[in-house]
Amino acid sequence: MNEIIVHQSNPINHSSRPSQFKMTNYTICIFTENTIGLLNRITIIFTRRRINIESLTVSETERKGVSRFTIVIKHESREEVEKLVRQIRKIVEVMAVFGYLNDEIVYNEIALFKISTPLGGKSLDVETINKQYKAWVVYWGLDYVVIEKTGNNEEIFDFFGYLKQYEILEFVRSGRVAVGKTEKGLVEYLPEADWAYYL
Amino acid sequence: METIASVVLDSTGVNSINELAPQETAPITFRSGAQALMESLVAEGVDTIFGYPGGAIMPVYDALYDFQDRLNHILVRHEQGAGHAAQGYARMQGRAGVCLVTSGPGATNLVTAIADALIDSTPLVCIVGQVGRKLLGTDAFQEADVMGVTMPITKWNYQITDADEVPSVLSKAFYIAQSGRPGPVLIDMTKSAQLELMTKPFHYERCQSIVSYRPRLTPKTEQVEAAARLINNAKRPYILAGHGVQLAKAEDELRQLAEKAGIPVATTLLGQSTIPVDHPLYVGWLGMHGNYGTNVLTDQADVVIAIGMRFDDRVTGDASKFIKQAKVIHIEIDPSEIDKIIKADAPVVGDAKEILKALLPLINPNDFTVWRNEFRKYDAIEHEQITVPELSSTEGKIRMAEVIDMLSTKTKGEAVLVTDVGQHQMMASRYYQFKRPNSLVTSGGMGTMGFALPAAFGAQVGAPDRQVVAVIGDGCFQMTLQELGTIVQNKQPVKAIILNNNFLGMVRQWQQLFHQRRYSFVELQNPDFITIARGFGMDGQTCDARENLSDALDTMLAHDGPYLLEVVVEKEENVFPMVPAGASVSQIRLS
Repeated sequence: MNEIIVHQSNPINHSSRPSQFKMTNYTICIFTENTIGLLNRITIIFTRRRINIESLTVSETERKGVSRFTIVIKHESREEVEKLVRQIRKIVEVMAVFGYLNDEIVYNEIALFKISTPLGGKSLDVETINKQYKAWVVYWGLDYVVIEKTGNNEEIFDFFGYLKQYEILEFVRSGRVAVGKTEKGLVEYLPEADWAYYL
Repeated sequence: METIASVVLDSTGVNSINELAPQETAPITFRSGAQALMESLVAEGVDTIFGYPGGAIMPVYDALYDFQDRLNHILVRHEQGAGHAAQGYARMQGRAGVCLVTSGPGATNLVTAIADALIDSTPLVCIVGQVGRKLLGTDAFQEADVMGVTMPITKWNYQITDADEVPSVLSKAFYIAQSGRPGPVLIDMTKSAQLELMTKPFHYERCQSIVSYRPRLTPKTEQVEAAARLINNAKRPYILAGHGVQLAKAEDELRQLAEKAGIPVATTLLGQSTIPVDHPLYVGWLGMHGNYGTNVLTDQADVVIAIGMRFDDRVTGDASKFIKQAKVIHIEIDPSEIDKIIKADAPVVGDAKEILKALLPLINPNDFTVWRNEFRKYDAIEHEQITVPELSSTEGKIRMAEVIDMLSTKTKGEAVLVTDVGQHQMMASRYYQFKRPNSLVTSGGMGTMGFALPAAFGAQVGAPDRQVVAVIGDGCFQMTLQELGTIVQNKQPVKAIILNNNFLGMVRQWQQLFHQRRYSFVELQNPDFITIARGFGMDGQTCDARENLSDALDTMLAHDGPYLLEVVVEKEENVFPMVPAGASVSQIRLS
């Protein structure tokens, strides 16, 4: 009598569903004119495609007025990343875009650790920190120190693991900075003849 | 010296007082930002603006007062109308339409038209007022973050906060809107920048290039050669011509290429009228409600030559099954369209006109009569099962197809047809026999209801020598009907036909076919449209009998001035053929 008819429409694609595909890191380097609002224009391209930005770094390049965005994403499809790169290239103020795989770039991040060093507490093994982890104490406070570590993601988290024996008061990590090993990345959209002009 | 020259050149009359004053004591006043804006528009060759004034754009409207002899400003009734009118104008003129509106709600009302222009690659320059620089970010009266709102839907946007920027930003705006793949550009101009004076003489130079933006026009030779090789070896080649052909004004080149190689040509919805319907190589249009043969045979072509089109899902159906068997040549000005939906075996990036010109000498003459005749077989089926029944009813209400067919005959296929969105749009596209290029103005990508009336007005302003006929659904009409006032006030002889079925017909069709006839909020209680038209001072009549249709259309077309014809049509008519959403094109249904 009270029959309920359930209508099946198109199944909704839940992008929050864990992906069964292997995620690969891509580093996207974007060279732009330095104008207000450009960061927004770039990030909405990611947002619209539901791509999460893992890290983002912006700085002026060796050329005055030219900014460089370094954006790290994880994605399962190289094809989709290529499409993303072409969409970014379409922004009027964007001069060039490169998409790289990890082995195509030299890259680093910087991390700062604020470690508690209370009176009578466990003393810091500075030699190990320096020699084994290539990290440096950059500030000595009364009851804490700040240690700077430069390296890739794994190196920084490896060091994080080591420091866990102390009390980590604060930990902050920068976005990735990267330079390509070769002149071109996996996708680039700049008229070839003009390439030398920008770099 | 420069400054004096500037004063002499000033055409606003404002600074001419300074000329009369003793030179040594005269303070040199330069133009205000608002005056500079007017001068920039004139220098760019703009003669028509669609707009609506308001608080934050008042200095510009004050400057406009002195420019009425050079700039024809058209006062619309709603900012969305300004946007669509500018789109209609732009499509007819092949250059940017200009809108001028105020901040906050003025700008947000324009948003739909901007989004529509972006997806259909229509050049627009939208100039929007903004609160004064000091009030930015303070939640001031009529302040909205228009830069933020329009960022994803403009090709470029820019906020002017300094009067000195006006000429250079405007020239850049027009260049970006009109070059490469055209699109909408928005200039957000603070009231303070409109009021303040420039600190230097006005100087306008047309933008020719931008360092970071260089659309490729001339194709790479190797890409053209690769495309030519594919075409020369093809057994069943197929041209899909899109809106890009019209944007590049490449209709002649398209025809020459098709004729030399004897290749059948189909168009997209917006590509219609790039090739005359009666051309022997024209085989119909593609898409959800396109022709039968064009859809079915896409899956049998061995080389597809896609020109200035972007493989919209309404064209491809299930894209993963679309033209899998074919080698694809994709001729496109926007590199981001290459491989976006359909992988191209031979992409050719550049201007369609230049590419087709370069391709022509490389193509061997050929004749694919056998292949072409396959389309005719499907045409015969479509004709018998769809067209004939649609056009030969003698009982019941008038059918939409009959109206369009008769309109097509009476206008000799030479009118500019402006359509809204829905069943009537598909019927208009299916049954109008386009003979002249650039004759269909419709909202394709965005599917904006309410587009037709203001767009038809803009098209008529942009093409005063052409007969402009808007075909509108009863639902669509009620979204922008206030623009009847604009049409009447500006004495534009727009002819509007409402195909009234008292339903939101396309939604109803889907509910009937895919939702078991559960009609959910699709029936309309409509007003008396003719009384409304008369209220605006526009003539019109209703036709609900088949035997009166011909006379009604004749009356409309012969009428001096704007005219509204309401045709009461069959309530529950469906548009066929139809590719169900998500199906492959070869699964097209005839009933």
